[in-house]
Amino acid sequence: MSRSTLLQNAQFKWAIFRSDDRLTVIALAGFVGVCSGLAAVALNRALHFMGAAFHGFHHHWWAFLLPAGGAILSAFFLNTLLKERAGHGVPEVVYAVSRYGGLLRFRSSYSRLVSSCLTIGSGGSAGPEAPVVMSGAALGSNIAKYFALKERQRITLVGCGAAGAIGAIFNAPIAGMVFTLEVILGEWRTHNIIPIAIAAVTGTELSRLLQGNQIPFEHQQFSISLIDIGASFGVVILATVVSVSLGRLLKGMHTVASKSRLPRWLRPGVGGAAVGIIGIYLPIVLGEGYLSIQDMIQGSFSPGLVLVVIAVLAKMLATALTLGWGGSGGIFAPSLMIGSLIGLVYYRFLDWLLPTITLSSEGCFALLGMAGLISGMLQAPLTAIFLIVEITGSYEVILPLIIVSALTSTFCYYIEPASFYLRDLIEKGQYMLPGTDARVLSDLTVRELVETDYMAVPNDMLLKDFIDAIKHSNRYLFPVEDRETYRYVGMIFVDRIRPYLFDPHMHAVLMTEQVMEVAVPTVKADDELADVLNIMEHNRLSSLPVVENHRFVGMLSKSVLLDHYRKELIVQTGAG
Amino acid sequence: MEERLLHVFRNTPLGRETLLQSLYFCNTLGASLYIYVPKTTQFIMYFDHDAVQVDLDGSYLTAADTATEHARQLAETGGINPTFLTPKNFTASQLPDISTNFNYMCCPRSISDLSSKIGLGYIGPKVRRIVKSSTFPVLITSPSFKEWKSICVFYGGSNNANKALSWGITLSIKTGFPLDMFTYTDGRSVDYFDEQLEAAKLAHKVKRHVRTWHKISEGKFEESLYTVDYEALAVVGAYGHGLIKDFLFGSKMETIQSWLPNNMLLVGPNCTYRGA
Repeated sequence: MSRSTLLQNAQFKWAIFRSDDRLTVIALAGFVGVCSGLAAVALNRALHFMGAAFHGFHHHWWAFLLPAGGAILSAFFLNTLLKERAGHGVPEVVYAVSRYGGLLRFRSSYSRLVSSCLTIGSGGSAGPEAPVVMSGAALGSNIAKYFALKERQRITLVGCGAAGAIGAIFNAPIAGMVFTLEVILGEWRTHNIIPIAIAAVTGTELSRLLQGNQIPFEHQQFSISLIDIGASFGVVILATVVSVSLGRLLKGMHTVASKSRLPRWLRPGVGGAAVGIIGIYLPIVLGEGYLSIQDMIQGSFSPGLVLVVIAVLAKMLATALTLGWGGSGGIFAPSLMIGSLIGLVYYRFLDWLLPTITLSSEGCFALLGMAGLISGMLQAPLTAIFLIVEITGSYEVILPLIIVSALTSTFCYYIEPASFYLRDLIEKGQYMLPGTDARVLSDLTVRELVETDYMAVPNDMLLKDFIDAIKHSNRYLFPVEDRETYRYVGMIFVDRIRPYLFDPHMHAVLMTEQVMEVAVPTVKADDELADVLNIMEHNRLSSLPVVENHRFVGMLSKSVLLDHYRKELIVQTGAG
Repeated sequence: MEERLLHVFRNTPLGRETLLQSLYFCNTLGASLYIYVPKTTQFIMYFDHDAVQVDLDGSYLTAADTATEHARQLAETGGINPTFLTPKNFTASQLPDISTNFNYMCCPRSISDLSSKIGLGYIGPKVRRIVKSSTFPVLITSPSFKEWKSICVFYGGSNNANKALSWGITLSIKTGFPLDMFTYTDGRSVDYFDEQLEAAKLAHKVKRHVRTWHKISEGKFEESLYTVDYEALAVVGAYGHGLIKDFLFGSKMETIQSWLPNNMLLVGPNCTYRGA
């Protein structure tokens, strides 16, 4: 076969791929999963290395400076070197997906990996999962950009990056997939699920290849009875209270830090130092805390009930101090830690209160507590269920897990309608799922919908001349302009002035300014379409004049708006 | 509808020159002026296929309390009633989103580097990213305010050059200023460029609107740039051909921006031509 024929064949095959959106995305999903998996493995390895490196220093009196130094370095790296603003990462991914079709900066693919490594590796109370989600999502976004994919495809690849990252870091592909669909994309569509599943599996497999097929927490066998299922309702109450409290504590700490007069670069250090001081007395609050969680699941966590309660409060405070004062990291790991602690508290309290009742084991309730906190904080019950099941291998706990996850997220929703990740976005009106009214309208502008082929008439035009003008137009709305200044002054509705039009006596008497309406609301080219629609509905108008700098520009009609709305909806949902 | 120009204001003498250029551009074209007075050293622009974070040089925050007033005074002296842009959305608390819903954007040669680096031969990386990603042409101003009285399109026969020529013709029609073309044949026959114009259906427009077509076939390219009128607005398609297009503007464009002190209108690969 000649070279040119081979080239033609290759181009033809590539054209087939590019001709079907889904095939292109499926083809790239695996690649994105590999990249995000590598990012997750790199962060995991770096954290292990730093943990081992600093382990020997924790007994020194100056050990509290370690988290402070790590946080300051992290902030310096992020804010000064890379000029990227710190944040939890996941809200930014959701923001990009909801407003800008998943556009993320390339620097986000590595910035949070380094900064969270510095924060968490030095002892900060945060998790690596959110930074790795950000990293994976940014990789997916930039791979989509490199291949010049459409917005819909780019969003899917962002999801693939997130799923691959979570799958790799937890060795939990289903949790990665469910987290992406439930939290990042907020929608369950067939054309998303397949590529995301591929990415989650690819990321996980890569992690297993490089780190071995180990679940994060060693499997324990639990025997669940009706009593345990009944007792799990108590975990729901406790998890709800703690979730809401933790969310508010984080927000409050962030407010306190932002109002502080300390230089911006020093604030993470203050939070880190405070965590370090707490850590001297309660080392359990430092870092991710996975070793302590393992002890709790195994039922070998020795501190007593009072100390465990103190540990819950201390870990909540440490997390708020780390993240609220500018440290880089996520909320996953602290939620797992705090959740397992409250599960322990609840079990031991019940055991003390009702010694005759036989409950499963404190390890089981540690799992339920973890599920409750994740569900409450993220308001993502499915993610919690699958995550706990996959990272512990404890499928027998699934019934109480479902109860705790579903009910905790429901109760938390009634108290705090938005999850920790989405709260700020929803408050600012920036959370918009693709295919919703707000999202579709945000992609349309008055400028592109305005119809400019309207004939303006001067304000001193006689009615008989106006009737001539009507004869040459197919419109029933006529804007009126001042003859001298050309400023817009009002609108004539032809159907409302029929009595004058059919009365010849009025033709030489009335002028346009006498029959026009001045109280018609106007809109500007930069107005939001959601507001424009509200004005139309409130005033029962099907068209509105667009006026810029007192000059009439054109008319915006509801029918044109809805026509474009439908087309944009098809683009965003991938339907049709 | 009126065209819109985005201007990021720097409250310094250099910034004043750049704003004067924007005012002249808006007055000449009948466009409206949108001024963004930055409150933070960063902002982000979301284009169709790229998110460009602009890290501003610190001088953009000079005398923040007088910036808006200075900009307004200058604009009113120029007979323009500007609109001051207030960001509504934020990617992060210190990272506002700036709309990309404009027809033009005005930039100095560099927006992230110190003012002292602004000079011939250097166009900053952020400005390059904006040119590459934007759907509108970017007006790169000369360091001092200079009125342009003609338009000169650099035509090399590529798709981008055709786009630049279309923009040049549009500007000429709107402003009434004469339009010239400049082509360095670079070993190609003169007929090649005529054929490219025919293929792009621009030949009849060129006959109608172009005053002089300078076709240079001898000598070095940079030496031939002396032919370009010093009062001309240079309209250039940015980004060349092949693999280097992602990294460089294109070899001719790099030479042009290194040698020509004129105001330049850079037409990037994603610019949407709206028709004359």
